[in-house]
Amino acid sequence: MVDQLFFNPIYIIGIGLAAAFFLGFFHRGTLAPRIIMVAVTAAFTIISLAWMQAFLLQGQTAEHGQAAAQVFTAGFQPPFSINLRMGAEEAFLTLLINISGLLGGIYLLDTLKKMGSHAVSVFIILIMGMNGIIMTRDIFNLFVFMEIVSIAVAGLIVLQKETNSLAAGFKYMIAAGIISVFLLLGIILAYAVGGSLNIDFLTAADLPGAKAGMIALFFLVIALLLELKPFPANGWALDVYDAAPAGVSAILAAAGSAAAYYALVKILPLGSSSHYTLVAAAGAVTFLGSNLLGLKQHRGRRLLGYSSVGQVGLLLIILGFSEVLGAQRDYIAAGIILSHSLAKAILFWLAGMLKQDGLEAWAALRKKPILLILFGSAVFALVGFPPFPSFFAKWELILLLNGGRFYLWSAVILGASFLEAVYLFRWFGYALKMDNEKLAEPEAPLFRLLPPIVFGILLYGAGWYMGSILEGFANFSYIPLAFILFLALIDRLPAWIKNTVSIAGVTFYIIDLYPRLEGDLLRLIFAGIFLIGAVLTLLSGYYYKGRRAGFYPLALTMFAGLAVLIEAANLLEFFYGWELMTIGSYFLLIRGKKSMPHGYSYMLFSVGGSFAMLFGFSLAAAGAGSIAMSALTGVTVLPMLAYSLMLVGFLTKTASVGLHIWLPGAHGEAVADIHFMASAILLKAGVFGLITVLLGMGAEASYTGPILFVLGWIGALSALLGNISASFQESAKRLLAWSSIGQLGYIVFGLATMSHLGWLIAISYSVTHFLYKGILFLVIGGIALKLGTPYMYKMGGLIKRMPFSFLAVLIAIITLSGVPPLVGFAAKWITYNLIISEGIYYQGFIVLISGIVAFLYLFRMIYTMFLGQLKDNLRTVREINIWFLIPVYLLLAAIMVLSFFPNMLLRPVGEMLSGYFPDGAIAWTGTLGTTRLGYYDGGAIMYVIGGIFVAALLFFFSLRKRTQQVKQFNIFYSGEAPSRPELSHFSYNFFAHYQKAIGVLTLPLVTNFWNWLSGILHGTADFFRRIYTGNGQTYAYHLVLYIVVVFFLQRGGM
Amino acid sequence: MNFGSLALGLGFLLILIGFWGLLTQKNLIKIVIGFSVVDTGVHIIMVGIGYLQGRTAPILDAALMQRTAAAGNQAGASADVGSLIVDPVPQALVLTAIVIGLGITALLLAYVVRLHEQRQSLDISSYEDLKW
Repeated sequence: MVDQLFFNPIYIIGIGLAAAFFLGFFHRGTLAPRIIMVAVTAAFTIISLAWMQAFLLQGQTAEHGQAAAQVFTAGFQPPFSINLRMGAEEAFLTLLINISGLLGGIYLLDTLKKMGSHAVSVFIILIMGMNGIIMTRDIFNLFVFMEIVSIAVAGLIVLQKETNSLAAGFKYMIAAGIISVFLLLGIILAYAVGGSLNIDFLTAADLPGAKAGMIALFFLVIALLLELKPFPANGWALDVYDAAPAGVSAILAAAGSAAAYYALVKILPLGSSSHYTLVAAAGAVTFLGSNLLGLKQHRGRRLLGYSSVGQVGLLLIILGFSEVLGAQRDYIAAGIILSHSLAKAILFWLAGMLKQDGLEAWAALRKKPILLILFGSAVFALVGFPPFPSFFAKWELILLLNGGRFYLWSAVILGASFLEAVYLFRWFGYALKMDNEKLAEPEAPLFRLLPPIVFGILLYGAGWYMGSILEGFANFSYIPLAFILFLALIDRLPAWIKNTVSIAGVTFYIIDLYPRLEGDLLRLIFAGIFLIGAVLTLLSGYYYKGRRAGFYPLALTMFAGLAVLIEAANLLEFFYGWELMTIGSYFLLIRGKKSMPHGYSYMLFSVGGSFAMLFGFSLAAAGAGSIAMSALTGVTVLPMLAYSLMLVGFLTKTASVGLHIWLPGAHGEAVADIHFMASAILLKAGVFGLITVLLGMGAEASYTGPILFVLGWIGALSALLGNISASFQESAKRLLAWSSIGQLGYIVFGLATMSHLGWLIAISYSVTHFLYKGILFLVIGGIALKLGTPYMYKMGGLIKRMPFSFLAVLIAIITLSGVPPLVGFAAKWITYNLIISEGIYYQGFIVLISGIVAFLYLFRMIYTMFLGQLKDNLRTVREINIWFLIPVYLLLAAIMVLSFFPNMLLRPVGEMLSGYFPDGAIAWTGTLGTTRLGYYDGGAIMYVIGGIFVAALLFFFSLRKRTQQVKQFNIFYSGEAPSRPELSHFSYNFFAHYQKAIGVLTLPLVTNFWNWLSGILHGTADFFRRIYTGNGQTYAYHLVLYIVVVFFLQRGGM
Repeated sequence: MNFGSLALGLGFLLILIGFWGLLTQKNLIKIVIGFSVVDTGVHIIMVGIGYLQGRTAPILDAALMQRTAAAGNQAGASADVGSLIVDPVPQALVLTAIVIGLGITALLLAYVVRLHEQRQSLDISSYEDLKW
């Protein structure tokens, strides 16, 4: 029980007024007023905290625990007096406001010093007013507190001496004045009809029953709605966010939005369902419109304004759907409010530390890494990534909306969130990668650093708490995340220590995980790819000398996400893991020198894909009535849409054609071991997802036909285009990146056949692609790192300097190209069987063609890099780092074993698949596999080819005395002088003749399509944002017009 | 036509005039005046809604008690004092609203002064630097 003598909520009003009054007696510039301000806001916080902890620990019920308290004033009961309420909602919101006030006040300490003690009293009144808005149960009192807040905000701005701030303040006051007129009219009409000013009495009075009551409600709702800055009547609000002191904007965004939101929460129950619809519609228009217009904004503070307005729009949608969301409404709203308030305050505070406001100038944050971490946390929280509260809120919101069949609404929400992600991640990319040499270091003394750090910690803490109280997520194990936190804390240590700790952590996890997966071969295989892959990549990490700041927490975040995918008990955990993996991989991919645009497009495709997935999952859950993984089986609600969206979500990660444009750049620019992680391991997450979905979908239902048909073509075309494009690359790393697209195409093609052999291909390709691509990425990446260039025409003759690398690459590409004797041939052999037995000749033809194309680029790569003449500048180059070679030769050993005994992999996988696809299995006797069409014996082929190879080798060896070495300059150009140095190298534009013939296939049509779409969006944004003319009078027009339009729409709807 | 409806009509007229000024005048001071006129209109409406024909001011003194007793005798039962006075709440509200309106007007004028100091212009279109 909270002791009302000490923690009475009315003290907040009393202390606030008294302190503000007495501050008038202090001289300008003394320290005392600011000490009083901190003490007063601290006292506010303690009062809210006392109530909050009582509600949290004891629950809010009348019989047990802490009941919501009513505080009466003037010794009367309502309606003859004003009463304040302190329930769980009020405790939560006042706590948020008061902490923002306390920390925001600390942040503003030196600004307030310049402004003088009057500003300090205004600041205290501002915080007190917001508390009042939350607590009061009297509509006129609500009006008074809202005016107090408006005047206080304008008062803080008028003390600035800058033209833009003053103009913004004036526009704000005009808008606030217009809103107050309608609020007053609504209040007096409501009183005339309902006979009371008390919200609870008015609720009982049935205002919608009377015509005047409806008008009263219209005025009340529209005024409170306008207070929440609905698009497009919000130009004045953008100016305030933009031009107020950063600390004030932070409080407005964090606390002001929450207060205005709660005012509407209190008033809406007075009205009817049509008012809820109005609010939801206004919210949707705002969320979509504001985020669309934000696309073209290139100044940070103003962009934050757009984003704040948008987030409030999302809150309005939630409020409007109160009935659908039911008991979960407050959970969802709390998640959005927490993320928005904490993140936005952090961002405004950061903005205040920077000298320049252009988005590019935020690169200055890199000079203080803690600020960059805060920026990143805030951006991810706003978009709704785990582990932040908004992740859970968005999940619940979409789930419930789609459960209630409000598909269009959830599509609007996800679409608008995506637009927000577009500008936020562009901005964050600038901060991570833009040149910052000429930018001034952010001004971050301790009193300015403290508030965002505290909010950052609260953001993570809130995320943890929101997850722990959500059914379906309560059992989630946070141990891997705690390990990542530990790695982040020891980030100052040298890389080799962190590397060892990471390997130990992952190994421990594997040992712990294995017993849980025994018997589940599918999961075991993918766990092997993800986690053994993790150990191998980390092993190569020993090459790095130095600190490698931030690498380990992020790499492990990706692997933790992958592990969660394997272990997920339900869709929510699966989605959590998926998003976690996305975060980690984004940071890894954007580490490359020129990776900014590629990391950005990776992120956009990931976010788009995960939203599609979320939509699909929610449809599945709506039909099944639960979020267990089994909900994916036999989806009943819009099954075709649900499965298509889920598949699209996963296809973004497998980089299938159409959704692939991020991959070549992102992977091509990544460092060697990151390239391994991203290509050999990360892409398999998409495969795992596809398998999970397709197993649930099956092939029986009528809608599966078209889906599988399209999926098969996507796979086949990805294989073809990936391989052809790979052939025309000059950079060895890009070549491998394109090759991955092609290889994943095979896998998608195999899965789409929904047959035993197809899946056998897909799964065996997943394993072998991991093995040989691992080798290639590490060796080629190692060479590129050593030589400082990935371009093949700058290499040549490396066989003499790097024999171990050569051998590894040779074996890897023999495997990849699928010629006998290595394990790649097994996969190809099954492909032939599949195409013939299933009769899929068109797609099959393309897949076979692309297999031949693969020869081209593999030949080009090994020939131009390792054979031919050694370049002058490479004469002293040494073998690649031993830490790359160790994992490479481990992988090589695995390939050799599987080549001798392909049955070791294919047989158990086949047996497992027989459970799903009983027809067409391969019969195994020892290493001999037999199908309807023929047989294959990996071991025997190995011996035969090995014998021929040794014989040929011996023959050539016997001829070695007659060979004539061609000297370096024993070549000529037929009188042509090459205009560029690389033209003189035979490996430049190696396949020029093929390029002439089929180069048309590699025209960047898909890239052009996405660029065109982006151009249209940005053009639309640029056109419509001109409604914000900057003229205060235009903004007044917007307000009045908004009211009139809404009035007529509302009448038409009633 | 009673005073109540007259007040309501007058109030709405004032609001319309005020909005006209607010939305058409370019001069900052005239805009503020427009707002003030709107505000006054709202106040008059508030008083008009609270007004009831033939009732007296809500001051509970001896004279009012006598009238209550007299009214009670006339009806043959005890009368409620509330049936003789106008509702005091709208009047209390209007007082508060006037004070707040005054505060807003004062602050707006303070802004006008500050803005004029900056650019020596009272035209609202001189202050459009923040846009889009």
